[in-house]
Amino acid sequence: MTWRAEVRGALRRQGLPEDDDVVEELAQHAAASFEAGRADGLSTAAASDHVRQLIDGWSRGATRPRRVSEHISEGERRGHFIGFVQDVRYGIRLLRRQPGFAVLAILLIAMGVGAATTLGHVTYAVLVQPLRWPGADRIVLVSETREGQTRTFPGILTNATYLAWRDAPSTLDNIAGYTSRVATLTVGDGPERIRVASATASLFAVLQARALQGQLYTSDNEADGGNQVIAIGFGLWQRRFGERMDAIGSTLELDGDRYRIVAVMAKGFAFPTTATQAWIPMRVPPVLNAADPQARSISLFRAVGRLRDGATVSQAAAEGTARGRSAPSLGLVGTAVFGTQGPPRVSAQPYLESITADVRPGLLMLLAAVGLLLFAAIANVAGMQLARASTRRREVAIRSALGAGAGRLARQLLTENLIIGAAGGVAGWLLSVGLHHLLPQMLPADFPRADEIPSDWRVLAFAIGCAMSASLLFGSLPAVLARRINLVETLVEDGSAPVGHGLRSRVGRMRTAVMIGQVAVAAILLVGASLLGRSFSALMAADRGFDPRNLVTAMLPIPERDVPAAQRAEVLQTIVSRLSHLPGVTAAAVGSVLPLLPFDQPMAFQMPSPRGGNETVSVQADLRTVSPQYFRALGVPLVEGRDFSDADSPGSQPVVIVNRAFVRTYLKDPALGVRLPITAADAAHAHEIIGVVDDVRQRSATDPPKPELYMTYRQAPEAFRMPAPMLVARTSGNPADLVGPLRSLVVEANPRLALDSVMTMDERLIASLARPRLYAVLLAGFGAFALLVAGAGLFGVLSYSVAQRSREIGVRAALGAQPRNIIGLVLRQGFVVTGTGLVIGLAAAAALVRFIGAMLYGVTTDDPVTYAIVVVALAAAAALASVIPARNAARIDPVRAMRR
Amino acid sequence: MDANDPVSKELKKGSADLLILALVEDRPRHGYEMGRLIGERSYGALNYHVASLYPTLYRLEEKGLIEGRWVEKAGQRRRRYYKLTPAGRKTLAAQRSVWQQFFVALDRVARFREV
Repeated sequence: MTWRAEVRGALRRQGLPEDDDVVEELAQHAAASFEAGRADGLSTAAASDHVRQLIDGWSRGATRPRRVSEHISEGERRGHFIGFVQDVRYGIRLLRRQPGFAVLAILLIAMGVGAATTLGHVTYAVLVQPLRWPGADRIVLVSETREGQTRTFPGILTNATYLAWRDAPSTLDNIAGYTSRVATLTVGDGPERIRVASATASLFAVLQARALQGQLYTSDNEADGGNQVIAIGFGLWQRRFGERMDAIGSTLELDGDRYRIVAVMAKGFAFPTTATQAWIPMRVPPVLNAADPQARSISLFRAVGRLRDGATVSQAAAEGTARGRSAPSLGLVGTAVFGTQGPPRVSAQPYLESITADVRPGLLMLLAAVGLLLFAAIANVAGMQLARASTRRREVAIRSALGAGAGRLARQLLTENLIIGAAGGVAGWLLSVGLHHLLPQMLPADFPRADEIPSDWRVLAFAIGCAMSASLLFGSLPAVLARRINLVETLVEDGSAPVGHGLRSRVGRMRTAVMIGQVAVAAILLVGASLLGRSFSALMAADRGFDPRNLVTAMLPIPERDVPAAQRAEVLQTIVSRLSHLPGVTAAAVGSVLPLLPFDQPMAFQMPSPRGGNETVSVQADLRTVSPQYFRALGVPLVEGRDFSDADSPGSQPVVIVNRAFVRTYLKDPALGVRLPITAADAAHAHEIIGVVDDVRQRSATDPPKPELYMTYRQAPEAFRMPAPMLVARTSGNPADLVGPLRSLVVEANPRLALDSVMTMDERLIASLARPRLYAVLLAGFGAFALLVAGAGLFGVLSYSVAQRSREIGVRAALGAQPRNIIGLVLRQGFVVTGTGLVIGLAAAAALVRFIGAMLYGVTTDDPVTYAIVVVALAAAAALASVIPARNAARIDPVRAMRR
Repeated sequence: MDANDPVSKELKKGSADLLILALVEDRPRHGYEMGRLIGERSYGALNYHVASLYPTLYRLEEKGLIEGRWVEKAGQRRRRYYKLTPAGRKTLAAQRSVWQQFFVALDRVARFREV
């Protein structure tokens, strides 16, 4: 009997190839076994059965019987790949067996990566990504300051410097001035408020912008009284003109003025903001007036230039300064605006930098914070991996003992981490896609380039790369551990944990270190969040000299065409009077500006020094035109004297109310009764001071109070006419409830009028604090997340340690330790870890907070309350995380623990 | 232990590898002989391994730890003899020391438990 047929049959049943060599070898063994069985006295049938079992066993063997292949290299290559696939399969199987771990790890990574990706993306798009104009890196913002100035206007240029520099600059190819405003557009059906820029024709050259239709306006259109022409944006053309070609040459109205459309800009063009939809020529007035040698004109606007090839920003600044100093002096108007007649100093700054300078520190801070957050999240996953690694040490030890190479094991562990990292990266990317959609709502309206944040494949690549590299980095911890694993130690440790070994094993030490790092990160983030949060609430609560609660405010544009100048006061009076009679309204008024609005009406005049003698003082102050009840409505305290009344009319004695800063700066007590020669030198027309009000911080709580003059709107001469009056009403109830009645009241008074920018003062306040609020909210979120992660991590470490030390704790209990001693043991361990992390974290925070010092208001970087809050928060989290493990430890049954 | 558990797989595989490498350490042997020796030396306790003997042999051969060759001796059947390669010798030495440690460790654990 040769047994070959049996062997072939067995191989065939197993679906294995019938290799002749294999068949031959197995058949021979079978024959020998059969003979041996017969020799041992077995019957033929019994010996045959025995051999058939053997054959079955061989062919059922784990590995396919196969001879050495001729092409080892190819096989090996495939082997590696198959090994990797096996690793992935094995990893996924393991993770599926511990879904809690896998889900938690993926979630942690997703949150860290999602936040990091979103913020990294925003930071890149805002700070780094080139602007969309051709050669945008050569566009510079040019601005000037005046030596000795007492008032600053960041980022503006004067007509004096502009005109002196405009002709044949040597460092710039072109220079352009512009301003922008919101205007009422009337074309076809219904008026609409749009943002319009006034810009010199050179703007198109600076930006290298082209018209899609028609011809761009030129400097010829800038002449005073010249053709009123307008270039409109692509969006406006599409929306209001249906992309019709005949839009060119047709007219539209802006604030009642007619403009002829000469050009439609190329799609995507918008400047200075993306909301800008139309451009009209800006005339830069000369400083000197030929007709009146004494008169000076000043205008302030922003200016951009395109650097000539080879020229640097500092060369441009130097040229601008030299040209500016050759311009005629601005005289008294210069004093009015700058508080000095000092010479100009021009600076130039890359345009990208100039529009992002405000948000740069905030973004970089958030980026650093989110980096720490990512670290905390990944460290937590690493901590969990270490815990798993330590429970798998037996597996790892045995596998390595049985010949699985260290590299093979490390690869298996890394593969697992890569699976988690890839899943976490994809989830994090999805999260960041979601966050990307929320960005428009999250970012303050004035956030630069908020609409230039694209979402593309690079974001996905970044998210996955970020997650994978982080997982690899931290995942290599357990792998390194596996490499160094000591079989003897492992088995001894595992068999019966030596007393007190808890955190002292290598895994334990590493986990403790990771844990301390997490606590430190949480401490740093919490310190930052707490400082920004306290700063924000200080800004909200800051005494600005008025009471922002229960106020509703609205802008009431009154186009000249609809309401002739002579009737303005009357219309306003009617509206304010009706407003004050609405239910719940305790005071209503109108003013040329309101606090928190970015308008100023600077003025200057000469007056005899209050200290006597022949000296004159040159006064500069902000003029505000208001109605009676304005101070009561805003809650500005009247310090002395009286408020305006309806008796203060164009025919009566001109009166004025000043603020305390004005009195401090220009007058001596008593201020009441002093006459100010505001509009004319003769005393008969001088304005008498009838009251003094408290200082109001008009824009931000950090502004120092400036001298201010208030006039009643009924006496305000034409020059001080309110451009767009602001209505304000104080209510005893919810100010938002007043919005509806206010709107209908205005329409009733004059159907051609419409309110704009209706908001409560609280809303204006919050909007003005949108950035500090965003930073504080985000950092608080990061801090809370880090705290949660650290708490969860600590819980894990302690629970693991209690499980590891159950034998020790059992011994202690058996020897008479009370539950409270055992609880103390665990709590102590928790607090040692937390305390160490806290000390490190607070020290790091103390070093780092100086970078955000400039963002703080009403709180210093060494604010003890902040640090106390962080200590308490982390201690509470640590206590919370320790309670359950401690209770479990106290419940350990000594007999059972020791028997285990 | 679950038979599909990679640990028990490695354990079986590892110990079988060690046994076979040890058997061909002194001189080349053929499969039948190895099967017989395993049975004899372990008093039948390791009979299990005979079933997976050939798969193991082929695997070791594929890994280059042993090398098989058909030999015809006068008056005998043509048999395939396996001998240890230099790589196999190294692996054997390495595994031996690991197992030694393992047994030392087991010893210690056992003694520790008795205390």
